[in-house]
Amino acid sequence: MKIQQYLGGVDGLGPVHVEKRVFVEPWEARLFGVHSTMMGTGIWAWPDLRIRAEAMNPLDYFKYRYYIKWQGAMVDFLIKHNYITEKELDEKTDFFLKNPDAELPDVGASEVTQRVVDYFYTGDNPYRDVIVNPRFKEGERVRINDMPAAPHTRLAGCFRNKVGVIEKVYKGAWLYSASVPTDGLGVPQPIYLVRFNTRDVWNDIPDSADVIYFDFFEIYVSAAD
Amino acid sequence: MSAEHDEHGEHGEHHHHERESESYYAARTKALESLFREKGMIGVDTVDRVIRFFDHDMGPFNGAKVVAKAWVDPGFKARLLEDANKAIAELGIRDGIEGENLRVVDNTPSVHHMVCCTLCSCWPWPLLGLPPYWFKDPVFRARVVKEPRAVLKDFCVDLDPGKQIRIWDSGAQVRYFVVPERPAGTEGWSEEKLAALVSTEAMQGLGLVAA
Repeated sequence: MKIQQYLGGVDGLGPVHVEKRVFVEPWEARLFGVHSTMMGTGIWAWPDLRIRAEAMNPLDYFKYRYYIKWQGAMVDFLIKHNYITEKELDEKTDFFLKNPDAELPDVGASEVTQRVVDYFYTGDNPYRDVIVNPRFKEGERVRINDMPAAPHTRLAGCFRNKVGVIEKVYKGAWLYSASVPTDGLGVPQPIYLVRFNTRDVWNDIPDSADVIYFDFFEIYVSAAD
Repeated sequence: MSAEHDEHGEHGEHHHHERESESYYAARTKALESLFREKGMIGVDTVDRVIRFFDHDMGPFNGAKVVAKAWVDPGFKARLLEDANKAIAELGIRDGIEGENLRVVDNTPSVHHMVCCTLCSCWPWPLLGLPPYWFKDPVFRARVVKEPRAVLKDFCVDLDPGKQIRIWDSGAQVRYFVVPERPAGTEGWSEEKLAALVSTEAMQGLGLVAA
């Protein structure tokens, strides 16, 4: 069991740190710019980042700040896929550690900038216009599957074995990604919006009218009865 | 500290420690951008353009504009709840990455909506730009689904105990956005003045709007 795949409902963590900034160090914004370039030019996609977050030691996952984790994931990916070598990255890092005010090289591929901005507006819609026959219909009671663990999942652990009601069957089919090993997301499939009574997900809280909604790929859903 | 420890630290602990400093992360980021430039994988202005983009083009000011319009125009609000991507285009707001499929829900006197992403940090970029740190914090993500009222208290929000809470945990293709309740005493206000009241937190159900 990986804590990162089961975060919802973990007890005893103390108060939320309500930090309202997006970036807390200037380097984080620049790292985000490099990440956006990787996204916009097709070097990597969200699943490549998420699978690395899920693979982390859970204690480190809690310990390190968001963009520190991103940096580790980006570096790991870029080296593994031969975009850069560890040696040249370490040498450059040492150089900028010793010369923090040194300018970046004044060379680059100018066409990339517009490509990245265009990508922000185009996005990456996983909708696939293929014919599917959803197995469940609105109003039906369903039980969420307890899938074997996989390196990457879109099933939030707290819903495993829980019963909810299909609130909406999204039109058509959706492809998550086939680029990383998952527990069954690699083919286009229907997605369902499922509603749970919060008390049905956790029985150690006071009863209330509160509900939780989650969007499930069909692979995660079975008939309740 | 013993001499032996010093010597060990020089190559072991010291190096490890250095790799966890802000100056190290900053240098490593600069090294990455530098290599990208040298290899022709990025433009000299790309990173600045990305930063500017989220300061001026895709940010919470878009969401606030949508909320203000929904408050003053019930027809727009109905269209927004029905098909958010189509409705925001009426205001000249373009959708895109992390917002190809938006869904807007509205808070009422009896229902309070809250948004989270327990698996990662899914967030409606076209309306809110990039997520703030609290949303990405594993502690927030772990707690909000099970004890939303306690988490609201961390945000200094004391929610009416009579309200039903509906949590939207983004697991797949949809990105969720909340129209908060319009505060009393704002009758006749311009959309611009109303929009200035609306915080990022309120548009994910972690804040209320006060006049």
